[in-house]
Amino acid sequence: MKKLFIVFGIISFLFIIKPVLGLNKSPDSLISNNSIFTEQVDNSEGEGVYDGAFDGLKQFYNYTGFANVTWGHIAMIFIGIIFIYLGIKYDYEPLLLIPIGAGVMIGNIPFVAGNQTGIYEAGSVLNYLYFGVVKGIYPPLIFLGIGAMTDFSSLIANPKLMLLGAAAQIGVFATFLGALYLGFNLPEAGAIGIIGGADGPTAIFLSSKLANGINILPDGTTVKNLIGPIAIAAYSYMALVPVIQPPIMRLLISKEDRKIRMKPPRAVSQKEKMIFPIAALLLTTFISPSALPLLGMLFFGNLLKESGRTERLAETARTKLIDIVTILLGVTVGASTQADIFITKDSLLIFGLGAVSFVIATMGGLLFAKLMNLFLKGDNKINPLIGAAGVSAVPDSARVVHAEALKSDPHNYLLMHAMAPNVSGVIGSAIAAGIILSFLG
Amino acid sequence: MILYVDLNMDQISEGYVILITGLFIVFSSLVTLSLLFKYGIPFMLYIYKIITKRKDKKIKDIALEVDEDFTGEVVAAISTAIHMYLNEQHDKENPILTIKQAKKSYSPWSSKIYGTQNRL
Repeated sequence: MKKLFIVFGIISFLFIIKPVLGLNKSPDSLISNNSIFTEQVDNSEGEGVYDGAFDGLKQFYNYTGFANVTWGHIAMIFIGIIFIYLGIKYDYEPLLLIPIGAGVMIGNIPFVAGNQTGIYEAGSVLNYLYFGVVKGIYPPLIFLGIGAMTDFSSLIANPKLMLLGAAAQIGVFATFLGALYLGFNLPEAGAIGIIGGADGPTAIFLSSKLANGINILPDGTTVKNLIGPIAIAAYSYMALVPVIQPPIMRLLISKEDRKIRMKPPRAVSQKEKMIFPIAALLLTTFISPSALPLLGMLFFGNLLKESGRTERLAETARTKLIDIVTILLGVTVGASTQADIFITKDSLLIFGLGAVSFVIATMGGLLFAKLMNLFLKGDNKINPLIGAAGVSAVPDSARVVHAEALKSDPHNYLLMHAMAPNVSGVIGSAIAAGIILSFLG
Repeated sequence: MILYVDLNMDQISEGYVILITGLFIVFSSLVTLSLLFKYGIPFMLYIYKIITKRKDKKIKDIALEVDEDFTGEVVAAISTAIHMYLNEQHDKENPILTIKQAKKSYSPWSSKIYGTQNRL
């Protein structure tokens, strides 16, 4: 009985303070309330109530997604679902495609602007999370995790394979030029070119610095905000490595070359593994200081892994930390594809250029590997297929190379050899990003 | 190419400059890095040996103290075996549980009535 009194007491109290809460409404809705009130005076009371209810429903309907939807939203939601489908069904980088796909759907739910909902509205939660993308905070954290999970020993064992990682960066610079010819201005073209590095975090980092919609060009115009299209293009081509690369490999590398077996890499001592991150950090960042956030974190993570004393930190960096950042990055990058901002001619051009740059990067790596073979003799010859791993989509492109080699010779295991150009591709694209940034930033 | 660059260069020509210098820098830095690991690190390890042991040896002798037979393939084989051992000890079992009613034959041991009636 006592409980019943309490419940009734609370309900009646809520009824009493209802007008007080009503005062919090925006002036807009107050005005509409007044208009309803005047209608009530004019008409008979019952009709007024129904009218008010109808108006309320209508207002509610105007706030729903159904009232605001456009074909752009529907198309983008469909694309999001395709991303999720590709991730689940074909296992193309599901850790990236599923967060991005979900983000694309989240970002393209139609809403009425001005209520701090959308990712581009200052003050909304999504906007705060997107801050990490816009300011380039997430990419270095991802690189920390990558450093803590990468084993550079195959690269240390065979340092000449580092050149393949450099050769694949031809894609970056060729696309940069292509974008210039298509009419993008210098900073935008630089940001688009880095898609050829096939490195999502690097692409986001560079585009957040160059094509962020804030920087002002010498001629007084503002650069376009291309972070969304560039990131989506980079990540989708990374996920499509198993589709894009094999045909190019088959086209450029002859059957005999595909069967070349490489001698197993020598074992690498722990001391060398410890020296590697320190020496590489110093050398690469002295050459290209603009890439410091990326390369510094990459080699710092690797030092945590190899020092043997900081296993706890390395463990966190390569599991929990990178997972958290990947989730935030994936969802916000996906959500940044809000239809009214994303569906433009530029985005289409970027997607086209991205595909071309990916192809050029793969070709660059493969051809350079063939070129290197001209100078190498006997046992030291390399299998040109591993050149394709010079694009830095770690470790997917190395796996693709491995699978492709197995097709022509079922006992030719190239995975470890392909990891060397693969990780040097990461270093190479970060250096390339640093160079472009120092020229155009 | 760089000779043609003047102050009024348009975007395309600046693009070519960036293309050439960029590629050159990327290549040269990775070449330096690879040279460092081909020659620099063995030399550094050699110096380290001299400092710590005060023993004069040729670079070739110390270069890299690793077992030549212990290649990456051996490492891969061992780690695969360990991985298999740790993760695949259990063969896949059918996840569907069936609860079968076990038929109980009468036992005087669990019978209450037996206990109450047949006191010893």
